[in-house]
Amino acid sequence: MAEKIDLLETEVWDGNMAASQAMRQAQIDVVAAYPITPSTPVVENYGNFLANGYIDGEFVMVESEHAAMSGCIGASAAGGRVATATSSQGFALMVETLYQASGMRLPIVLNVVNRALAAPLNVNGDHSDMYLGRDSGWIQLNAYNAQDAYDLNLIAFKVAENHKVRLPVMIHQDGFMTSHTAEGVKTLQDEEAYAFVGDFKPMNAMLDFEKPATYGVQTEEDWHFEHKARQHNDLMTKVYPVMEEVFAEFEKKTGRKFDLVTNHRLDDAEVAIVAMGTTVDTAMMVADQLREKGIKAGVMGMRVIRPFPFAKIAEVLSNVKAVCCMDRSSPGGAPGMLYNEISGALYNSAKRPVVTGYVYGLGGRDMTVEYLKGIFADGLENAKAGKPTTPLQQFIGVRGPKLNFL
Amino acid sequence: MSEIKKIKNLKEFSTSADRFEGANLLCPGCAHSIIVREVLNATNDDLVIGASTGCLEVCTAVYPYTSWDASWIHIGFENGSTAVAGAEAMYKALKSKGRLPQPDRTPKFVTFAGDGATYDIGFQWISGCFERGHDMMYVCLDNEVYANTGGQRSSSTPVGSSTTTAPAGRVSYGEKKEKKDMIAIMAAHGSPYVAQVAPNKWKDMVKKIQHGFQVEGPVFINAISPCTTEWKFAPEDTMMITDLSTDSLVFPLYEIIDGHELNITYRPKNVIPVVDYLGAQGRFKHLFKPENKHILDGWQTRVDRNWELLQRREEARV
Amino acid sequence: MAENRGWDEFDAGAILFTFNEKVDNIATTLAEDRPYSSSSSFTASVGDWRIEKPIFNKDYCIDCQFCWIYCPDVSIIARDKKMIGIDFDHCKGCGICVEVCPTNPKSLLMFGEHLDDDECLASWPEKDEKEV
Repeated sequence: MAEKIDLLETEVWDGNMAASQAMRQAQIDVVAAYPITPSTPVVENYGNFLANGYIDGEFVMVESEHAAMSGCIGASAAGGRVATATSSQGFALMVETLYQASGMRLPIVLNVVNRALAAPLNVNGDHSDMYLGRDSGWIQLNAYNAQDAYDLNLIAFKVAENHKVRLPVMIHQDGFMTSHTAEGVKTLQDEEAYAFVGDFKPMNAMLDFEKPATYGVQTEEDWHFEHKARQHNDLMTKVYPVMEEVFAEFEKKTGRKFDLVTNHRLDDAEVAIVAMGTTVDTAMMVADQLREKGIKAGVMGMRVIRPFPFAKIAEVLSNVKAVCCMDRSSPGGAPGMLYNEISGALYNSAKRPVVTGYVYGLGGRDMTVEYLKGIFADGLENAKAGKPTTPLQQFIGVRGPKLNFL
Repeated sequence: MSEIKKIKNLKEFSTSADRFEGANLLCPGCAHSIIVREVLNATNDDLVIGASTGCLEVCTAVYPYTSWDASWIHIGFENGSTAVAGAEAMYKALKSKGRLPQPDRTPKFVTFAGDGATYDIGFQWISGCFERGHDMMYVCLDNEVYANTGGQRSSSTPVGSSTTTAPAGRVSYGEKKEKKDMIAIMAAHGSPYVAQVAPNKWKDMVKKIQHGFQVEGPVFINAISPCTTEWKFAPEDTMMITDLSTDSLVFPLYEIIDGHELNITYRPKNVIPVVDYLGAQGRFKHLFKPENKHILDGWQTRVDRNWELLQRREEARV
Repeated sequence: MAENRGWDEFDAGAILFTFNEKVDNIATTLAEDRPYSSSSSFTASVGDWRIEKPIFNKDYCIDCQFCWIYCPDVSIIARDKKMIGIDFDHCKGCGICVEVCPTNPKSLLMFGEHLDDDECLASWPEKDEKEV
């Protein structure tokens, strides 16, 4: 039996430690992992817990991220609680198996400590890897800070493993900005945390030798579409009810409230920034400062990236006049993902706000208070004019001549 | 430790209840399923089976049918080993936590994969599994070609074989490179048991599979699997070709215990010339043209040299 | 034969179950006693792949079980150490059983798929004296 750790009510943890502590508390059965910056400490912390008797499960240090997810898939299909962590190139190497995990409906939890994708090589935080995973059929939760990383890990197991859901979950946190920045994190004691997550309830376990299951079949043109349709249907219809239930239970237990999208002063806002990761926290602070000057600024944080909260987004942004979408990933010859998807959610809305996009922060470039103020100012102009007053895609914080498109 | 299934003779073996089903989609005369049946029937223990992408996989789990009477998983081309290693890790975890659905069973963990998945694309994953020491058996169904995709070369393809990506042509005799010695590589991982088997020698096969299931740790089995389609022989001749392969010593049957103790397990009474083996298959047909005589000669020399080497290693016990 | 079903009519994850109910020990339960589901290929047929079929003549069979061990398609039915017949739902007509049959004359021979079994048996060859 693993030993407990007595936690302070508030611990000083970085995002990696927050994630690894939550993983420890969830009493995972198998972690198959491979270290990569900036998620390495998740794997190291977990190894350290194991070496000191705080973990009972199996910890398999594999030879690559592809093998990490492959091992997780085998372990999860066998019938137990499974999680791992990765970043960037490792995530990219894993991509093949991400589709396999979700297609087999395996409730694996993956901490993605977001980092840029090469070339050129970069170890710092942006959302390129997160974007790479967005069609993989996983649930994607977004942490803005270390506290979120802790909370969302506990929530993720409970959502993923629910028999109505049975889908894998990624928890995204920003490389270095969250993963390596120590913050105060409010904790649950080990018993409380485990009681919240609950025992793993097996379903279609390969280790049930009296009811053999075949995983990973081939489906051709006569079956493939139905299976993909089923998976999409379940993402679209089964996840939110369970997630909202789990959010409510978590709030009851901790007082910390999660929603499908974070609504920061949007109800009467004229201008809104839509962002992910650490930028959400910074943008909220900037919005508060602008509010003091009488500017009706608000922020929408993307708490759930997949399944994309289309209706919820249309609802919380229904009264906003201008929306500025912040994409921290090079769109590779297109508008940014957030710009496109938020526009899609708002296009048929009654008031149809003006939507503009920003590409920022690539490779760990800071998103500053000043930049955010400038973006809110753009948005205000758009709100006043009732149409875009800037190009639809602006690059923020890049050196050289001003870079705009569309 | 599980009980070893008693299989004194073929009559006794034939009382086995197969856990692999017909109406799979493998070619008529495919040796893969003969090998799979011999492996699975060698034990009565529960099984968790993995497969890498390949003929066996695409022919035995095409929705809405499965040909497996045991839990089975396929992920991709390269990771059948790691899929099973993950399941084995879960078994260990749930065993120690007392959460196994049937706690008293002694399951065996087996991966089947072709030579493409083994010698080539899955090589790293297998190496990882063997280095980490998962308690599993990896069976390579070695037909020396990417048969599933229509006959492209693999690093198991032998010299002179004509494949679609290294075909014999006006200026080429086909494959130029020698077959990779996967058995030596796996033995070098310190595996407790590595063996080469052939389905014609079922008794040798069963003995080795049972030994492999009894030892703890990762076991590598290389099974010769003559491919009627890509080796180009008639489906009814599968066992005849297998006999030629073992009796010409092209596929010597041996085992390596703990990475060093090599035992030859089959010594043909009458060793057949290699050309008899080559000549029975369409993939080597062009080697019998006069300009390719040196390739045929090279084949016999290589097989003789390898047999000599195996005998010397057997004697030396190192 | 499993029918095509709509997207809402199957187990999520394209998972297939071999049996309709739990089987205590599969390895010691013979096919006839197993509760195969319609997802097991045991319930399917590849009989229409055959051009020729093996015919079994038990008069010459010595129950050596070579045909059983070398059949790729689990189509030689052996019970209580005796060869009792061929599973024509699963036999693809490869002819391996005939090739490995050691009796003289053979106890298994290939005949055209369309031929009548009794006629095949009636036309069985005599012992080949040259082969002794």
